[in-house]
Amino acid sequence: MKKVLIVDDAEFMRLSLRTFLGKHGYEIIGEAADGKMALDLYEKERPDIVTMDLTMPVMDGIESIKEIMKIDKDAKILVVSAMGQETKVRDAILAGAKNFIVKPFTEESVLKVLSTF
Amino acid sequence: MSDKQNEPMLDMFLFETQELLNELEQDLLLGEKSDSLDLAKINEIFRIMHTIKGSASMMFYTHIASVAHSLEDLFYCLREENPKIVDYSRLTDLVLEVSDFIKLELEKIEQGLEPDADPEQIKNEMNQMLQKIKQDNMEMEEVNSMEQYKVVIFFDEACQMENMRAFTLIRELEDITNDMVYTPNELFDNEEALQIMRKEGFQITFLTNIGYSSIQQIFAENPFIRNFEFVEDLCEELVISSNHDDITSCSDESNCIKIEELKVEENKADKSKIEECNIEEHKAQAPNQKMISVNVNKLDVLMDLVGEIVMLEEMVMKSPDLEGLKLPNFNKTATQLQKLTGELREIVMSIRMLPLSFTFQKMHRIVRDMSKKLDKNVEIVLEGEETEVDKNIIEKISDPIMHLVRNAMDHGIETMEMRQRIGKPITGTIKLSAQNVGSDVLITIQDDGKGLNKEKILQKAKKNGLIVKPEGELTDKEIYNFIFQPGFSTKENISEFSGRGVGMDVVAKNIENIGGSVSVDSEEGKGMIVYLKLPLTLAIIEGMNLKVGASVFTIPTSIVKESFRPKSNDALMKEENHEMIMVRGEVYPILRLHHILNIKTEITDLHEGIMIMVEQNDQKICIFCDALLGQQQVVVKALPSYLRRMNQMKYLAGCTLLGDGTISLILDLANVKKK
Amino acid sequence: MTNIEEIEELEEDTQKDKFLLFSIDTNYYGIDIKTVIEIIGIQPITEVPELPDYIRGVINLRGTIIPVMDVRLRFEKEYREYCDRTCIIVIETNNVMVGLIVDSVAEVAVIPNENIMEPPCITSEGYRYIKGIGKCGDSVRLIIDCDRLLNEEESRSISDFNV
Repeated sequence: MKKVLIVDDAEFMRLSLRTFLGKHGYEIIGEAADGKMALDLYEKERPDIVTMDLTMPVMDGIESIKEIMKIDKDAKILVVSAMGQETKVRDAILAGAKNFIVKPFTEESVLKVLSTF
Repeated sequence: MSDKQNEPMLDMFLFETQELLNELEQDLLLGEKSDSLDLAKINEIFRIMHTIKGSASMMFYTHIASVAHSLEDLFYCLREENPKIVDYSRLTDLVLEVSDFIKLELEKIEQGLEPDADPEQIKNEMNQMLQKIKQDNMEMEEVNSMEQYKVVIFFDEACQMENMRAFTLIRELEDITNDMVYTPNELFDNEEALQIMRKEGFQITFLTNIGYSSIQQIFAENPFIRNFEFVEDLCEELVISSNHDDITSCSDESNCIKIEELKVEENKADKSKIEECNIEEHKAQAPNQKMISVNVNKLDVLMDLVGEIVMLEEMVMKSPDLEGLKLPNFNKTATQLQKLTGELREIVMSIRMLPLSFTFQKMHRIVRDMSKKLDKNVEIVLEGEETEVDKNIIEKISDPIMHLVRNAMDHGIETMEMRQRIGKPITGTIKLSAQNVGSDVLITIQDDGKGLNKEKILQKAKKNGLIVKPEGELTDKEIYNFIFQPGFSTKENISEFSGRGVGMDVVAKNIENIGGSVSVDSEEGKGMIVYLKLPLTLAIIEGMNLKVGASVFTIPTSIVKESFRPKSNDALMKEENHEMIMVRGEVYPILRLHHILNIKTEITDLHEGIMIMVEQNDQKICIFCDALLGQQQVVVKALPSYLRRMNQMKYLAGCTLLGDGTISLILDLANVKKK
Repeated sequence: MTNIEEIEELEEDTQKDKFLLFSIDTNYYGIDIKTVIEIIGIQPITEVPELPDYIRGVINLRGTIIPVMDVRLRFEKEYREYCDRTCIIVIETNNVMVGLIVDSVAEVAVIPNENIMEPPCITSEGYRYIKGIGKCGDSVRLIIDCDRLLNEEESRSISDFNV
């Protein structure tokens, strides 16, 4: 069972991701509300997959991705972006994120992307 | 074998080899534009050299054969070993050198001289090139096992941010390839790219050593790809830079090209089969394969024979023996025969017409050579190459056009440095275009160089005593056109290219000799444009036949505005000797053909004949003739030289044969009106 | 020697001293057979404006358009209607092809060089284009100088025709 770390500053998003990923056989090993917290959790838990929001307080998603990649260059990070954030998504991909989905997403598309991870 | 018997073979050898070399240059220069050489072209050049080698050794021109052989070797390597690093520019130079070498030797042979050039140097150069290619590509061995793929991808439209999807995919593919190009390649801040991706898909071409199935898997698994397919096209040469991260850096300095054939099929046997038939296809598509060369004399004879057939047919149809007989079957067949001979005639007439493309294409080479030597960056743009002109005319305008292009390169377009300083695009442009304008063919040579210097021309014209009217009355255009006067060259130093003692006056004379005209216009600092107007002589025109007395005349349909029968209430005026007619409130002069051409006719009353309103040089005039006979395509023939010599034909531009073999005279209305 | 040269020589030989004789009024004229291309009956002639009247116009000879000259008019004799005896002799000299309209063609005759004399110095129009007088039995044949026939300027200036 793949271990997932969910990073989002919105409680609602974390909840929905947690619910449906849990339903489809992913183990949620932690949730973070900002990039800094995500980094700490990554170091400790070494999840297989990270879902990463980009706009967050304290440390934003891109910074967080960069830091995570420093710890683990094989980290598999899925960016969960809002619409119209092209530049940010690009930076995230350049920083090392493996793929991205756009909110609002369908469960199906998220599962499809994750299956390639 | 005596020399005399050998001659036809020698002629054939010279002719064919020259043709092949021309073909070669054309292939090469078109390839140079895209900075690459695809398999089809490599094969083509290989084939040409192989042929030349063969026939040259047959004719015992061993040195030509050996040079061709060296180049063949070089292309054999390109074809078989498929090297990735080739200094393309050098290769082109080399091939052109070989072409020039052989051409020069052919010229000597043609003039009965001993072809005696030393082939060693050029052979050495080719050898070095071959060695270099082999060396460069040794290090690339592992790349050789790589295969190339081209994929067109359609993203799921619901996935949003397709450009980002494409970008992510590219990032993903970077794991398996170093060599990749994709279109659209501007993914960001580019609304257009998004549209293209949606409509035509996102195209990626890449080189990789992982297998087909793994690649397919990558695309199949991507959740945002709605559809993808591997594209196979051999014609498209793939230009990919390896060892260079920045794809666009593959320019002047490195001049690297990759020559790759596309391999998609996994099955080796299948693959080679496909390649083979693709090559076949290419050959079939090459325009040269559709052409055969025919001796012009044979065409002339053919033309005459057809003329005779048409005449005889007419005689058979109108045979007095048939009068009064009812022959439904005969008439039916006869009509069919008439239709066929009509078509035959048209085809034969059109055979002598050739498109200007060959003449135009030659200019690529000139521009290329001169660009390098003069340190100018010039692009030549061709327009209307498909315009057809009689073979005789093509032969006569080739040199003038070449001269004008050279002139534009040499004196017109500024150096790169200069252009940069004055804020012009660094690359100069020469536009060569052809079009049918009415009954003429208009060829223009336009450059965006520095243009003509009015003051200098004026001074020189004054010095040479060319100015006959007050200076103030001279229009700019009149001043510019002084450059076509003999001995008129404002440039003192003669250069390698446009010097050679040939001036614009020679160009003008050559064009005038075939009945054409030359004019020039210019804007200082912006460039100049030369207009070559070629005559109707020998060109096919759409003609309108009209009758005056017993004679038939033809005028180009293009100048006819309308024709009408003057009514008795039409306002006619006569002033001194000038008749005029009012049509829709405008007054036009009337020209009676029977009068001007001194022909006896019974129809002299304006209400009995036909008025044809023609327009030429912005002037409208009404021509009066007995009747209109109809319209047809005619081949304009020059009047017999005996007549031309005897008298300056003021009103006649030529003559033509009508379908029934009768002769119609073609009127030159520009001159009729002057009278 | 190659065949071609032999043939040429042979042809040269067979044509030597041969003249095509034609008549105008009661005179017989001769044209060097080498210049004659062919003889055809009278054809429909297309008149061409702006030309001297002895150039009757042009004819279509199997696709080639050639001018035709009425020799009678060239010799300043009066015009005579063409009939079925009227012939056109197509000649070529110096790459110029012209048809000569004559009253009728008689025969090909051999007139050896020694039988041809210089023409008498008469300025009459009929003699302007004669380069020799050949004796043929009792009668004489006037040998035509084709170059002069075609190229000699007329006494009247050409500009007269452009009025």
